[in-house]
Amino acid sequence: MSARDERLHQALDGEIDTASLPPEQQRDLRRLLGAAALLSQGPPGSVHHRVMAALRQPRRSPARRLAHWLTAPHALTFAVRPIWSLALAAVLAVVAVFPAHGPGPVLSAEEGIVQFVGRFPSAHSVDVVGSFTDWRRGIVQLRDDDHDGTWDGSVVLPVGHHEYMFVVDGEQWVTDPLAGRYVADGFGRQNALLIVRPAVATAASARR
Amino acid sequence: MPQGLPTETPDSPDADIVARVLGGDVEAFGIIIRRYESGLLRFATRMLGSSDVAADAVAEGLVRAYRHLATCREPARLRSWLYRIVGNRCRSYLARRSTDELSLEEAPAQADPADPALDVERAEQLVLVERALAGLSEEKREAFLLKHVEGLSYEEMAAMTGERIPTLKMRVHRAREALLEALKEDQ
Repeated sequence: MSARDERLHQALDGEIDTASLPPEQQRDLRRLLGAAALLSQGPPGSVHHRVMAALRQPRRSPARRLAHWLTAPHALTFAVRPIWSLALAAVLAVVAVFPAHGPGPVLSAEEGIVQFVGRFPSAHSVDVVGSFTDWRRGIVQLRDDDHDGTWDGSVVLPVGHHEYMFVVDGEQWVTDPLAGRYVADGFGRQNALLIVRPAVATAASARR
Repeated sequence: MPQGLPTETPDSPDADIVARVLGGDVEAFGIIIRRYESGLLRFATRMLGSSDVAADAVAEGLVRAYRHLATCREPARLRSWLYRIVGNRCRSYLARRSTDELSLEEAPAQADPADPALDVERAEQLVLVERALAGLSEEKREAFLLKHVEGLSYEEMAAMTGERIPTLKMRVHRAREALLEALKEDQ
């Protein structure tokens, strides 16, 4: 970039007086400011009513919530000790490799079991929230029954890609540091990405 | 208080309104919408080349902003935070735009020369500028719009985009040069 061009940028950034520019650069400056002024004409319209209508959506009545709970698909949550989760993973691996040699969990071809493990020594509660819980807490809650700071839980999830985060003590959102795959959450942080394959245990673990 | 008529205090700092919303006053979020929607809609329209798609992006962004308002670490810089969310929605829309769809450069300009609200010459100039803007890369377009149309400082742009100020300055400089070239060619 020439020194002449640089002066135009300095003027547009308010670093030097625009009057000090030579006539040709004065024209360029007016051209750019004119373009910006034209673009400053906002399109008509408003999203106020649309957004507020979405925010004012009334909560469902208890009866409707019950009906929704009975008819909507749910992730199943159960707690296992780490040693048992390893054993479970081994069993599931065997079942996946030798499906015809013995009974296994009753899962459809569109489901898989996922185990979440996180190390949060000072936590009082750990939730997993994600695209599969509509980012709501209280649906997938991890357990630490032996109080060793390792929280875990397993769920059955539909096959496919799922984003998730840990929520510690109901307020601290923590990205699983060992997830291996991440996607931007749109707010400057990253969600962990989980890929569920049919009838194969997937471990998502965190250490903190 | 009647629904839809929040106590509008034009001078209320953003942080006070955010505190009201977080305290359960949903209607107070309407003040935030009124305060920033025109700029957000303008920015999204210029980024996406379509006022309809821009309205979707802004509406989705504002709903997300409301739902995650508690995670806004600096309510006093709410404006940058909202532009960040809407900017991210715009990027998602642009990423989703498949190759067989109309590209931004091929899309019709938003300005309508037949619009009686605009005089013909001004409308034609706007069409030229919109076309030149559409020819910029996404990053340069965003940088030019934020700096010269939305009037954000480089510090606010850095807070919004997560980029360093020298990087943003370089983008703005390159956007200006590319825009000047395009405008000169059209004349």
